[in-house]
Amino acid sequence: MDILEKLEVLGAAAKYDVSCASSGSKREKHFGIGSTFSAGICHSWTDDGRCISLLKVLFTNECIFDCAYCINRKSNDIKRATFTPQEVAELTINFYKRNYIEGLFLSSAIKNSPDWTMEMLFRTVWLLRFKYQFNGYIHVKAIPYASLDLIKKTGFLADRMSVNIELPSEKSLRLLCPNKTKESILKPMEFITKVAEEEKNFVSAGQSTQMIIGATDDSDYKIINLSQHLYKKFKLKRVYYSAYTPVNHDPRILKVESPPLLREHRLYQADWLIRVYNFSADELFKSKDENLDLEVDPKVMWALRNLDRFPVEVNRASYEELIRVPGVGIKSARRIIKNRVFHSLDFEDLKKMGVVLKRAKYFLTCNGKTFERFLIDLPPEKIKQKLIDKNSLQRPRQLSFFDREVFTSVITGEI
Amino acid sequence: MYKIFLYDGTFEGFMCVAFHIISEGIGKDRAIIVSKNEYQPMFIDSVREVQNDLKTFLEMRKGIIEKADNSVFKKIYYAFLSDTKDKEGYILRYLFFVFEHGKKIKYLYSDDLVNAVEKMAKKVSREIGKYMGLMRFYETDKGFLYAKFEPENDIIKPVAFFFKGRLNEFNWVIHDVRRNKVALYDRKKLQFLNNNNLKFEVIKEDEMVQMLWKKYFKSMAIEERKNLKLQQQNMPKKYWKYLVEKN
Ligand code: SF4
Repeated sequence: MDILEKLEVLGAAAKYDVSCASSGSKREKHFGIGSTFSAGICHSWTDDGRCISLLKVLFTNECIFDCAYCINRKSNDIKRATFTPQEVAELTINFYKRNYIEGLFLSSAIKNSPDWTMEMLFRTVWLLRFKYQFNGYIHVKAIPYASLDLIKKTGFLADRMSVNIELPSEKSLRLLCPNKTKESILKPMEFITKVAEEEKNFVSAGQSTQMIIGATDDSDYKIINLSQHLYKKFKLKRVYYSAYTPVNHDPRILKVESPPLLREHRLYQADWLIRVYNFSADELFKSKDENLDLEVDPKVMWALRNLDRFPVEVNRASYEELIRVPGVGIKSARRIIKNRVFHSLDFEDLKKMGVVLKRAKYFLTCNGKTFERFLIDLPPEKIKQKLIDKNSLQRPRQLSFFDREVFTSVITGEI
Repeated sequence: MYKIFLYDGTFEGFMCVAFHIISEGIGKDRAIIVSKNEYQPMFIDSVREVQNDLKTFLEMRKGIIEKADNSVFKKIYYAFLSDTKDKEGYILRYLFFVFEHGKKIKYLYSDDLVNAVEKMAKKVSREIGKYMGLMRFYETDKGFLYAKFEPENDIIKPVAFFFKGRLNEFNWVIHDVRRNKVALYDRKKLQFLNNNNLKFEVIKEDEMVQMLWKKYFKSMAIEERKNLKLQQQNMPKKYWKYLVEKN
């Protein structure tokens, strides 16, 4: 099989992995080809609107495991291919120097054994770093059940590593991934966290993971609660959510006609709230088997349930109070704080600072005045009716899985 | 009466003119700054040509950074690269503001002039950001990587400095086809030239890599998520001309 054919097979096989961003690397550079850019750069956008920043391929799609949701599982009859380390390294360099990509995202199915696979990933990265002196971004997967030694060796050469948590609960994992245990995923994850804390230059852009949404009956509460845990306990940089695309017919998987993109979008927004805005999962959800409101964003959902905390007075509120107002982002909250030192702010000023009054006007006052009369006394249901996000109901937003948070507030969920 | 000031069209030159206008106490509304090659003489004008002088430029830069900060200086530079008509007029008046208000200028969102300059700078910085990702280099017979682009704003300098950091181990040329400006890097030095007589042939091996990239690009799209509108929103058509994957 020639390289063109391999690339087609192993690129296509990797496309469902969404945890592909290239930002946040702090690896020091001394010599050789290329650099990482701490904010990350998009190099192209696919026909589905997602950003391409890395050459994202599987090393092989031959798998000894049989996960129900996965196109590469053992029991599927599909075209199989395996790269050599040399092939992947050359492709990366060739694409990189033409400015097609920022670096490499190397994942793999599990061929022969977990250790054989991990060894191949290690060799590929080794070639890139030492033979080609490549300094660009490298994200590589840690393979479940692979020896921690191999994972460690690889992590010293990578910018980021990730172990996919795959599913939001142990029950779902047992149901859909008969060959993987919770242990096999959490052990390497914990190991990477530990080494990263002790050693400099070990996965300097941190660790991430991804999970599949909508293939099982796990609630949004469960999902966000798990993420909160992962951020706290394992210090993950990002958790990525991937709306399940039905590639297999398997009775164990919930029937999905098309990937639940809107739900995925709301999860990113909720994730953003716990990661950046200091919300907790328990605050966002009332009960454990609850889901996010698809009609409005999670911040609006929360505010409507907590109307007793509103309205917030713009000229007095603390930063923490301000960022919890729907329509006020981190940036505009900072601007408000800086500006009100000079003069007291009115709604015109807020607009110029980037506050989205369409949402915010129900939840704040300027010098005791509301935006329009009577606004504040509206019942939650009325407010909600006015805030229903019709655009996203018609056409769920596509995410671009790209970390440049300032410029991509829409997709990362700043609300 | 207006006074007309001519300069050589460079950022350094512009800053020198601004320096004279400000330090000689000529009001911001009485001075008009025009690039030499865009000026059409009229006999009633009082015209003065100001020479580009590095010392004056550095002094001006120091002044801005002391009065405000580096980010304001960068904003001014980016605004200057914009292709907005009468950018000189906007930036001159903005400079008066900087010297009047210092750092505070960053928070005067409500002022129309400040807003206009912010917008110009933002447009430029956005375009630079896009080309960091969307520039495409081709391998050529002369051992240089070669990239063409047609930016709206005059951004070849900041873009080239970015690639100097990134492609530091290669020889390369970036060509702004619209302005016929060239940035040339030979692994030691980065030079900017005003016209391009360099001729490059794309080599066979490059065509193979282009094919691989096109294949890869296609194989990455998820059919069930197809969204061409979003693709175009992120990657507007004006960038497609030199994009391998779109040709
Ligand atoms: S181990 Fe990975 S590649 Fe193999 S079937 Fe499971 S998810 Fe797919």
